[in-house]
Amino acid sequence: MGLQGDDALLHQRVVSGDESALAELYDRFSPLVFGLCVRVTRDRTIAEDITQEVFLTFWERPLAFDPERGTLRAWLATIAHRRAVDHVRAEERKKPSHLGPRLFEREPAPMEDSVLDAEASARVRHAVQSLPAEQREALEMAYWGGRTYRQVAERLGLPEGTVKSRIRQALRQLAGMLAEEGVR
Amino acid sequence: MNPVERLYLDALEEGVERDDRPSPGLLLTTARARRRPAAVTVPWAAPYAGRVAAMDAVLASASTDDWARQVVEGWTLQQLVAHLTAKDGLVAADVGAPVLGPPIGTRDPLGRTAEVQAAEEGRSPEETRETWRAQADALCAHLADVDPATPAAPDGLAIPVRDAILARSLETWVHADDAARTSALRLPPPVADQLHPMADFCTRLVPWTLLATGTDGSGSTVRVTLTGPGGGTWLVPLDVGAPEGVRECGQGDAEAHDAQACIVTDVVAFCFLLGGRGAPDSLPAEIEGDRELARRVLEAAPVFSGP
Repeated sequence: MGLQGDDALLHQRVVSGDESALAELYDRFSPLVFGLCVRVTRDRTIAEDITQEVFLTFWERPLAFDPERGTLRAWLATIAHRRAVDHVRAEERKKPSHLGPRLFEREPAPMEDSVLDAEASARVRHAVQSLPAEQREALEMAYWGGRTYRQVAERLGLPEGTVKSRIRQALRQLAGMLAEEGVR
Repeated sequence: MNPVERLYLDALEEGVERDDRPSPGLLLTTARARRRPAAVTVPWAAPYAGRVAAMDAVLASASTDDWARQVVEGWTLQQLVAHLTAKDGLVAADVGAPVLGPPIGTRDPLGRTAEVQAAEEGRSPEETRETWRAQADALCAHLADVDPATPAAPDGLAIPVRDAILARSLETWVHADDAARTSALRLPPPVADQLHPMADFCTRLVPWTLLATGTDGSGSTVRVTLTGPGGGTWLVPLDVGAPEGVRECGQGDAEAHDAQACIVTDVVAFCFLLGGRGAPDSLPAEIEGDRELARRVLEAAPVFSGP
């Protein structure tokens, strides 16, 4: 939260041809991008290739990103997700069908600029419901209510540190649940 | 990004091990091949190398339609790039760097532009981009061995190459912004370290712009405060012969209060005004003191901005 200024500066540096900005960017965002790609493709080698390609895309055409319209994290995640899903779909089309040739190919859903489709969003919301009450309360205040850690802490009458660790625990639990459910 | 997606990404980020990611491997090598990084050069030419890389980023996003679309002066993007090659080549010739394109027939900036544009006609946009970039990079590389006081005259008037290169930075920036707008892209400003020398150059031009418009500013001084990253405060004596020329000062300096007029405006807007973009009377500026003097300064500011 509050990394907007950072995003703008990294963007300026990449536009100005500063390679060290690309290295910093990779350092900061590659675990997320790679994690997302592994989750969607379930193939580490493919995920590595897509991860590289996402950062190369940003370097080659940095003006496709506009810091006034969203965070760099969300932009990179969106590109990564789109490429990973494209890969999975292309693989599925290659698989021979047991029933012989298909009469018609189902049209792929139009790709929106989002990381989660409606079904996956519903699963995330559902997973939040099964968190322990304490964690869920803090998480919902922060995300659905759009509050900062400090504001959540004030409302709950807890130290900010406690709220922070509660939310982090919740996020880790959530990551585990989503991995089991195979949310893409 | 909606809250569910933000939550999903945060959970993902929390769930992945920091160490579990591929090594960057050949990332930087491959990146260099896709779009060249800023040329390595002397610190005083870094703002130019940075704006060249930014223009290159605009060109990387340009579609076939964008290349054929008129940007400024009735020039297509391809002709605009040839114009930049032409003027960079004039500086290159002054300092003994390689000059790309046809041999220099005329040193008149528009005449030289026409020569290079004619040579680029019939070539592909990628070839025109490559010649421009190679000219800029050759100039950057050559400057390492050049005394920054060496005279150069990309616009007819001989000035130290150190300033001529800042003039080239400003023009490359302004045209990169023109091209970005034509392609519906938003070009971010230079980083503060690279913007500051350009802002300093623009304030040093102010007395000359007044002289060129025939306004007598002798005996008067304006204080120019440019806000935003890369900005600062400058004392600008309006007489080009003033013993102490334009100088940057702290806002709290005693001498900062000797000015007859004070202008406070955004650093990017001010550089663009000198570069011929934006009208002096619509510049968002706070003015104190002699308003008439400040108005004359702002009205004269774009006088040197050519094509």
